[in-house]
Amino acid sequence: MARPELLERYRALPLPTTSDEPWRFTDLKGFDPDAFGAEGGGTTPEASMLDIDVAGVAVVTESGIEIERAPEGIIFAPLDEHHERLGQLVGHDEKFAAHNAALWQHGLLVVIPKGMKLEQPLYVRIANTAPKSSLFFRLLVVAEEGSSATLIEEYTSASPELEGYSNAVAELFVEQAAKLEYVSLQNLSRETWHFATHHARVERDAELDWVAGGFGSKRGKTRIQNDLAGPGATSRVTGAYFADGDQHLDYDTFQEHIAPNTTSDFAFKGALRDEATAVWRGMIRVEKDAQKTNAYQENRNLMLSKQAHADSIPGLEILANDVRCTHGATLGQVDREQLFYLMARGLSRAEAERLIVRGFFQDILDRIELEPVRETLGEALEARIPQA
Amino acid sequence: MALLELKNLHVALEDGTEIVKGVDLAIGPGEVHAVMGPNGSGKSTLAYALMGHPAYVITDGQIVFDGEDLTEAGADERAQKGLFLAFQYPHAIPGVTVTSFLRSAINAIRKARNGGQDDPIAVKQFRTDMLAAMDRLKVPRELAQRYLNEGFSGGEKKRVEILQMAMLKPRIAVLDETDSGLDIDALQIVARGVKELVGPEMGALVITHYQRILNYIEPDFVHVFVGGRIVEEGGPELAHKLEAEGYEAFTPKEMV
Repeated sequence: MARPELLERYRALPLPTTSDEPWRFTDLKGFDPDAFGAEGGGTTPEASMLDIDVAGVAVVTESGIEIERAPEGIIFAPLDEHHERLGQLVGHDEKFAAHNAALWQHGLLVVIPKGMKLEQPLYVRIANTAPKSSLFFRLLVVAEEGSSATLIEEYTSASPELEGYSNAVAELFVEQAAKLEYVSLQNLSRETWHFATHHARVERDAELDWVAGGFGSKRGKTRIQNDLAGPGATSRVTGAYFADGDQHLDYDTFQEHIAPNTTSDFAFKGALRDEATAVWRGMIRVEKDAQKTNAYQENRNLMLSKQAHADSIPGLEILANDVRCTHGATLGQVDREQLFYLMARGLSRAEAERLIVRGFFQDILDRIELEPVRETLGEALEARIPQA
Repeated sequence: MALLELKNLHVALEDGTEIVKGVDLAIGPGEVHAVMGPNGSGKSTLAYALMGHPAYVITDGQIVFDGEDLTEAGADERAQKGLFLAFQYPHAIPGVTVTSFLRSAINAIRKARNGGQDDPIAVKQFRTDMLAAMDRLKVPRELAQRYLNEGFSGGEKKRVEILQMAMLKPRIAVLDETDSGLDIDALQIVARGVKELVGPEMGALVITHYQRILNYIEPDFVHVFVGGRIVEEGGPELAHKLEAEGYEAFTPKEMV
């Protein structure tokens, strides 16, 4: 479909409201996606959350994409809008996906050729830089047969107060026996509306290991779909988020088991302070032929204030008869007795809270293979507890 | 000179119910005091209030530590000054190892004593100290990497409380029913840990129902605590008298 048609498609779709089930807990009142300009021109933030040696670096802003460094032997380049795989996983039937399809300009294409093992990670920073502007990022990754690679993406804003609209679409193809680690860190300003649609297809005996970190943004929705499309495919998604002030985070995950003998393991943990809210919606769907599926989903939230609130909505839809699906969701408060115990050892209230929060996330952090990512996430989570 | 002084201390629950009804107590370094009382006498309330638990309100009186009034101070400040409470029921902190917890606590205290500036203990020094203390107190080394109190047996929890005491080196240690649920071996280890530390640097307040622990930690002073008050005071012989006669003899007439 050509761009003008896609734009029409976008315009024809109404902005979701809380009477649409997936948006029941995420109110977009006050948001007008068309009120944001496309012009960039702001300064690109240099700072990254991460301190890590990488093989390739790309920076995307409203004004363009710059490939600062690319390793030999792979494709790490601007994405062409005629790429044959484009739109295969994320179409244009949903408002924000359609908006991205119609307006994305500066996309990144990553192709890891057959059998290639890339040791160092690839890194892309997506930065909103200009006030009241929109950034439509598009990512297409193909990890060809037997290859392995790590891609880290980081969403940032040029300043902590920058008003913006971020709309990202990622399509990840993990081919037979390939291994892809995908780390998506979202650290946008608190005045940025963020909508992301991330969809991966995992083929026979392939492995996808995904980390989602959510710290910034004002409100929006992050959708994560994994299709276990070939027998023996495995996907693991580890999510950690922290919101405070009046932030609202929304994760909508979908584990789609298409082929038999596939495994998916999704675990999300979040901590919320002040009046922050979060919603996690998880769906495991097991198709008729996907016998011997092993699927797991969990969402656990820790409330650090009385006003914070989280909703967890797990879901199962099972059409096969020989499967193992489990899920769990909990909502807990920081325990006053735990706080007292730690403070009775000399820790300030803030230090005690920080230790409890770090402990709460520990099992999630332990799932992350890349040490710098694990460290960064742990520190970022702790750092959100203000000094007394 | 007394290091810790309780002056006419009154403690109530948040709903206003008065539990501790005027306690005077003075503990100096090198001294072991025992507060002995039956169940429901308010012993644990006294311990929590001493440590600054927010659910126990000091309605009257004072806590003076090293000449400084700590009646209003938070638990963290009391600990930083050198007050320590070995909990009757230590809490589990999931995801936080004994090692990382102990290091955080030591560093918090060092920071407070360094005028609020960070002064972290060298990692190697910390490790050496911790392993030595663990061996001395027969705390299995594998506990160092376990999450604090999570899945610990009753005896392990109590030993780890004493390990914390040994590492944090308080000036006054309050042991709240540390003997409950311990077998004789564990009790001996715990008692040895306390005795090692009592001296010019530290005094102890042992809160207990039974005289048993006092066979291992000989108290210099015994205070019989009934109905939120100290009803009798004496030397170690008082503990033996209690053992023989029970608490009834000490129950004030108006309470019978």
